[in-house]
Parts: sequence; C-alpha cells; structure tokens
Amino acid sequence: MTQLILFNVMNGLIIGAFYALMAIGLSLIMSLSDVINFAHGGFLAVGAYLAYSLAPYIGFWGGLLVAPVLTAILGLIVEKFLISRVYGRDPLYSLLLTFGLAFIFEDGTRYIWGAQSLPYQVPGWLMSPLSSSFFFLTGYRMLMIVLIVAVVAGLFVIMTRTRLGLRIRAGTLDLETVSILGVNVRILRNLNFGIGIYLAGLAGVLAAGQLGLQPTIGDSLIMPSFIAIIIGGLGSLTGTLLGGLLIGVAQGITTVFFPSASEAVMYVMMALVLLVRPQGLLGEEGRF
Amino acid sequence: MSGYALVAEGLHTYYGKSHILHGISLKVGEGKITTILGRNGAGKSTTLRSLVGLTPAREGKITVFGTETTKLPPYAIAEMGVGFVPEGRKIFANLTVEENLKVPVDRPGKWTIQTVYELFPRLQERRNNKGRQLSGGEQEMLSIARALLLNPKILILDEPSQGLAPLIVREVFRIITQMRAEGMSVLLVEQNVRMSLEVADWVYVLNDGEIAYSGTAADLQADEALLQSLAGVSAEKWEI
Ligand SMILES: Nc1ncnc2c1ncn2[C@@H]1O[C@H](COP(=O)(O)OP(=O)(O)OP(=O)(O)O)[C@@H](O)[C@H]1O
Ligand SMILES: [Mg+2]
Repeated sequence: MTQLILFNVMNGLIIGAFYALMAIGLSLIMSLSDVINFAHGGFLAVGAYLAYSLAPYIGFWGGLLVAPVLTAILGLIVEKFLISRVYGRDPLYSLLLTFGLAFIFEDGTRYIWGAQSLPYQVPGWLMSPLSSSFFFLTGYRMLMIVLIVAVVAGLFVIMTRTRLGLRIRAGTLDLETVSILGVNVRILRNLNFGIGIYLAGLAGVLAAGQLGLQPTIGDSLIMPSFIAIIIGGLGSLTGTLLGGLLIGVAQGITTVFFPSASEAVMYVMMALVLLVRPQGLLGEEGRF
Repeated sequence: MSGYALVAEGLHTYYGKSHILHGISLKVGEGKITTILGRNGAGKSTTLRSLVGLTPAREGKITVFGTETTKLPPYAIAEMGVGFVPEGRKIFANLTVEENLKVPVDRPGKWTIQTVYELFPRLQERRNNKGRQLSGGEQEMLSIARALLLNPKILILDEPSQGLAPLIVREVFRIITQMRAEGMSVLLVEQNVRMSLEVADWVYVLNDGEIAYSGTAADLQADEALLQSLAGVSAEKWEI
C-alpha cells in the first residue's frame, strides 16, 4: 500500500512538473502580453515531434537540447508576425487567434507526422528501474525531474538576476513605464513569448519519452495548467510552480483512493482556492 | 538665447473619440526650465504623454533637437535622450529600489546607479526594499533617479511635488534647478504654482486643451490677477 501511494505520489509529482512547465510559460505570456495562449499545447506537440525527427541525426540528447530551442524560435516568429498584431485589442482577438493556431498546429503535426501515435526512443539504460522495490523510479523519470528543476531554477535566475528578467517583471506591472525608460517593449514581449514557448517545447520532448507521440499530446496538459495558474496566483511564478505540483500530487493520491475523482479533484481545489483565497495561494504578495 | 531642445507645433490628441488637445504648440528652451500650469483636466498630462509618445498626437509635429519624433514609439524617443517622470511616479512596486534602477536602458553619461545614489543617499539605504515599501518622497526620488539613468538631455516631469511634504517638495525643486545648472532642458508640469514660477524661465498656461498664456515666469509672477484668472490658482497653493 505504501508503495502504491508512493508510486502515485511520484507519478503525480512528475505530471505536476509538466503542468508547472506549461503553466509558467502560459503565465509569463499572460502577464506581459495579456494573451491567453491556447496554442501552448500545440507548441508542446511541435517540440515533441521535432525531437522525434531530429533524434536519428543528433540522437536523443541532441534532440532534447535542440528541439525546445527550435520550438522557441518558432514561437518568436509566430509572436512577431501574428500575435503581436492583436496586442492592445479586445481580448477576443487573441483568443480567436491562439485558438485557431492550436487547430493549425494539431492538423499540421497530423499532416506531417501522421495521426497514429509514434514511439519515441529513449536510451535503454534510462528506462530500467533504479531498484526493484522502487520499480516506478526509472532513470528517465529522474532525468525529467532533474531537468525540470534545473530549467525552473534557471528561469528564476533570469527573472531575478538579469535585466531582461527585471524588465519582464516590471512590464507585467506597467509596460508603459518600461517603454518610456527606453526599453523596446515589442522585443521584450517577443523574447518573453519565446521563453514561455521554450518551456512548452521542453515539456513536449520530455512528455514524448514518457507518453509517446500524438498530435493531441498537449491537450491533456493545458486545462490543468490554467488551473495551476489560478491556484498558485496569477503573476507569481513560485505560486504557479506550486499550483502545478499540488494538482499533480492530488491527482496521484486521488487515483489510489477514489480513482473516478482524479479528473475532478483539480476543479475542486480550484473552487476551494477561489472561495478561500481568490488571489491564489501566492497571488499579490508573491507577485514575482 | 540658444536653441530649443524640443518643439511641438499644433498638436491634436484624442483619447478614443474625445478630442483633448486642440492645437498645442510649445517650445522647451535648451538649458532652461519651462513650466506648464493649468487647472485639473486642462490637458497637461496629455500634452506630456503626446511629447513622449505614450498617447501620440493625431495631428501636429514634434521635434527633439531638430529630429522629428511625432510618430516614434516611446522607447525610441527615450533613447534620443528624453527622460520622463510620470504622474503618480509609476515606480515598479514589485521590484526593489536597485532593480527599479536596472530597468532603464544605458545611455552613456554621468548618471549611473552609483552617481544617482550619491544624489539620493536615501535610495542607497533603501536599495533592497521593494518599491511598494517606499514613502511618497522616496518614490518620487526613485522615479527621478530612474529617468536620470537615461542620461537625458531633456527631463520631463509631471507633477513631481504632488502629495509630498513641504520639505521634500523643496528638495525636488532643488534637484530640478540642479539639473538645469548641469545643462539639462526641463519641462515641468506643476500644481505648485509659486515654487514652479520661482524656478521657471518660461511658462505656458493650458486651458481646455489650448495654450491660454505664454510668457516669462517673471511676467506672470508679477501679475497675480492674470495668474488667478488663467490658472485658477487657489490660495492654499501659495502656502509652503
Ligand atoms: N485615459 C483617458 N481616457 C479618456 N479621457 C481621458 C484619459 N485621461 C485623461 N482624460 C481626459 O482628458 C482631459 C485632460 O486630462 P489630463 O490628465 O491631461 O489633465 P491634467 O491637466 O493633467 O489634469 P490633472 O491636473 O488632474 O493631472 C480630462 O478631461 C480627462 O478627463
Ligand atoms: Mg495630470
């Protein structure tokens, strides 16, 4: 029983880390550009498929390194030529645009790589359990956790130690004032979008090794990611991280005791948070 | 008299459909303090926002040291050496003092984080405090320091003394005159008529989006009746 719980908590942490990666990117874009990026899951799929196609040439590790970067570059292009055009308009424009993009990504990947799911090759030694009593603890899962922790830590360093990060944080509060200080806010929003999409691309590559590849691979992650933002508090990176992990673990534990509720549990959590602390767990105070 | 740092001709500015500025023309003398006075809602802030590109004028022309800036975005105008201290200070409450000072782009010149700390020692003491923890006076200093880091040739301030204690107001005006002494051109919007007339070289009075008066500060100061009728100066404003 303990092992079963551990297994599911572990599962929950990993899925929660994916939610967090997605949610942090969504939250960065939402805070600085007022755009709810419904195409985020589509970018995740692009990252996964790019890694799949690159792996024969540059191997698993090369794909892991390069695919998220390529996805981020695609993000920079999409932001510059499409999304930036609806800034400052009614939010309906950006909703429709990113919704449309989500469909384009999904059908695009289906067209290029096919509708059937594809296996994603992870080096064999990563797939074997670390020990027989902890059969669920594979090297790949450890790798995912280490990578996600490292990337999130890196993001925190960017946000607190670099001028780019400071300007992004200042811009989430008051972009107009950032612009009168000589900062090109078009470029700032572009780079910020790229950072968010990098995280989605990385989530895609990592998810591919765990779940295999399908054009809809991002779909199951997007809703929990939005909820992670609400639970954690919009504008708080730490809160968003926490929100993602909490949802994942709660789902894992619910799977043990009340499997049919594992989907619903995050909505219950969201409702509770909205009732007790509408600004989210670390909202306002924690505003990064 | 030397040339002009900034020249605006016939500005018409709108918020959506409401027509706020009706052909504003003004000049900011190089190395001078130019003041804009006017009642609440006269369009002073809107004028400044048009000059710095935040609310671009729909008609008219703005030049900064001879280069046209009318259609430029705010960051490009800032990069030409136009520093702006906005109404309400607009400091970044979620950043520390020092982080606030790292937001502006570097333009070469005398002002660095170190030299603005020397100008405002209080900011150095508070360097690790968040913007939201600062008093009004400290916020004003931070807002001025932030603009100085651009090493501006023109400094534009929107009601810097608003809501500050008399002692701090004096300090703010001292800084403004110091900037002029260092060769900066200053455009100042103020409610504190007495203090601003004392430091200003040239005055504009704005009324309903139009220039109602333009002249030297000394002339306007000498004619209190005119001042009353133009700017609706209330008696309390003369205290301090
Ligand atoms: N964002 C806005 N949208 C619509 N109308 C606005 C906006 N900002 C200001 N106005 C209107 O434009 C007019 C001029 O406002 P402005 O802020 O320029 O005046 P002001 O002279 O700076 O006043 P104050 O002394 O109160 O700061 C006012 O009638 C105001 O109601
Ligand atoms: Mg004003």
